[in-house]
Amino acid sequence: MTLALVGGTHRTVPLDLRERLAFSAEQTADALARFRDRFPGREGVLLSTCNRVELYAAGAPDAPAPDATDIVAFLAECRGLDATQLEPLLSRERDEAVVRHLFAVAAGLDSMVLGEPQILAQVKQAWTLAQENRTAGPVTGGMFQGALRAAKRVATETGLGRQRVSIPSVAVADFASGVFERFDDKRVLLIGAGKMAAETLRYLREAGARDVTIVNRTAGRAVELAARLGARPGRFDRLAAELVTADLVVSTTGASDPVVTLDLFAAVEPRREGRPLVVLDLAVPRDFDPRIGTRSGVWLYSVDDLAAACDANRRSRQREMPAALAIVDEETRRFMGDLHHRSTAPVIERLRAGWSETGDAELERLFRRLPHLADADRDEIRQAFDRYAAKLLHPPLVSLRDESRSGSPHGLLDALKRLFDLDD
Amino acid sequence: MAEFVAGISVVCFAASYAVALACEALRPALRSGVRGIAMLGFAAAGLLAHTLFLVWRAATEPSIPLSSPFDWYLLAAWLLAAGSLWLTITQPRTPVGLFVLPVVLMLVGAAQLSSRQPFPQSPATQIWGAIHGMFNLAASVAVLLGAVAGGMWLIQAGRLARKQAPVQGFRMPSLERLAHVTSRTPGIAAWTAAAGFVSGIVLNAVNRQRGLLETVPWNDPVVVRMAAVVVWLVTADALVHAARRRAEGPRAAAWLALASAAVLSASMLWGVFGATRHGMPPPASPAAASSGPATAGHEDSP
Repeated sequence: MTLALVGGTHRTVPLDLRERLAFSAEQTADALARFRDRFPGREGVLLSTCNRVELYAAGAPDAPAPDATDIVAFLAECRGLDATQLEPLLSRERDEAVVRHLFAVAAGLDSMVLGEPQILAQVKQAWTLAQENRTAGPVTGGMFQGALRAAKRVATETGLGRQRVSIPSVAVADFASGVFERFDDKRVLLIGAGKMAAETLRYLREAGARDVTIVNRTAGRAVELAARLGARPGRFDRLAAELVTADLVVSTTGASDPVVTLDLFAAVEPRREGRPLVVLDLAVPRDFDPRIGTRSGVWLYSVDDLAAACDANRRSRQREMPAALAIVDEETRRFMGDLHHRSTAPVIERLRAGWSETGDAELERLFRRLPHLADADRDEIRQAFDRYAAKLLHPPLVSLRDESRSGSPHGLLDALKRLFDLDD
Repeated sequence: MAEFVAGISVVCFAASYAVALACEALRPALRSGVRGIAMLGFAAAGLLAHTLFLVWRAATEPSIPLSSPFDWYLLAAWLLAAGSLWLTITQPRTPVGLFVLPVVLMLVGAAQLSSRQPFPQSPATQIWGAIHGMFNLAASVAVLLGAVAGGMWLIQAGRLARKQAPVQGFRMPSLERLAHVTSRTPGIAAWTAAAGFVSGIVLNAVNRQRGLLETVPWNDPVVVRMAAVVVWLVTADALVHAARRRAEGPRAAAWLALASAAVLSASMLWGVFGATRHGMPPPASPAAASSGPATAGHEDSP
């Protein structure tokens, strides 16, 4: 069994070329159909995301995986690119390195944002497309199953994917959720219409937020954004009244001075009757006077606060890398052991068949000489022969399995072929 | 089977809880699923042994549960251990055991230092005794739960005030949920403690009438400390209620919950180590002397 990988990622291929090299789902299906024609008898899976394009190929001993140059030429041809331009930018791997790379990719260890979970769904989708286009096979099947298992282990046995690293997700999951148990009974107030507001609102919606009001200096923009985000537009001149009823405020205006001053908040505060208020001030410069954060029951977070938490989470993810890589290594060794062991199957099959044939012939001769034997006695003798053969075969099979764990057991296979006169 | 159950000792389940607590303490350092399974396994094994121990005592001792300080403490510990296990199963990301199991172990420790001798009982005092014990038990569990929630509130609030992301594998419940517990437990604790105190007065009157136990005087340490606990809990509840619509309310409730636990602990320590006439038989008489060990006097202190 041979494995090959050619691909480019955000680390090796510039964005403009990556965009031209990327495959849509339809283009992937078309490319896989071409792969089938171009490399008959080989297996292929094409993984294409916004950060990577990788072609995984596998072949049997009689039809080995295509070499890297052929795969580069194939990819270039599929996307109408110049192969000589692609050649130096694409990385290539063979055999065990291919498996290790795929397992690391599926676990998010090779992603731009370390540990991001979306890649796993993309790996699954690539495998599904290969199955639908009949370029998947037992080797790539085992390899992609192994990748899913490795990714799952990394997710459950390490903290790699648990810590959030984007400002809106940290704001909602690590801070707002620390204050509030649920969001479906909370009033969310969006001040301004910055891009970060929409992204934060997406996370709040996922957490259950329903009652959302948007206020903006430009009333038309608030109405437009409210319609787009399924929220209620509010009036900017009624900001104080909105602050009285709000439980969570996301502020993203482009104002150069604080929109909510300490004086304004001091006027609002008594009317809130002590209800806690979470403020996610995502504006630069800040929309809320930072002194508001020192008031009882107010949990105020600026972009810098959230960015610091994101950095801490990134460092925390980085600390999980050794454990994650150990899992990837372990799963790679397990898969390669299985793959090598699988490659011994034809020899074992021939060995068993040869022994069985000889045993049957000997039994036939014995039964001809002893015609008086009852059927039950014959069965007993037959079973004894089978047990004898199985016991004799056991040690070489165990040796083969053990040898497979450390690589392809060529030496042992050759010895078995020569000792037992097994044809290729 | 009976031999096996009879062989279960306090040390068996206390050790299980201690190992479960150690597993819980390793949460931030060891995120393997094995740790969680081990924690749950030891906590469940401890609870099972604890349950069997209490059932065995109820079946073999000539009295119902709550009939001695020892059983009372163990039942309180059992309630908290069962609650902790249930919360650990339903909310596996929250380190509930880290906060509740130390309280469970302290109650088990207090049980070990307390008298195992059941209070002398008659059918009338048995009912009032059970009511008295159950109200006091409910009050104590409410106070301890409130304190656990209050402690968690302060830790979570501290983390949010410092603007730190949560430590992996150590996610606390939200302030809203914790505040919900700390604002309700003072009321439950105050009313059940008051009911326990009143039922204790009734029990005392019944005992005096039947001559089964010695009358507990108003200045007995048990009466004084229980009255102090009731007064404190009612005051704490009033303070929590008064601060309800203030921004400082949840923080005040958290501190008051911890203070209530401190008052209760002091009261328990006084109960464990102090002298009392509570639960004592009347002065020896020929009739009482001939009635055997069931009416034998005992001290609350070891």
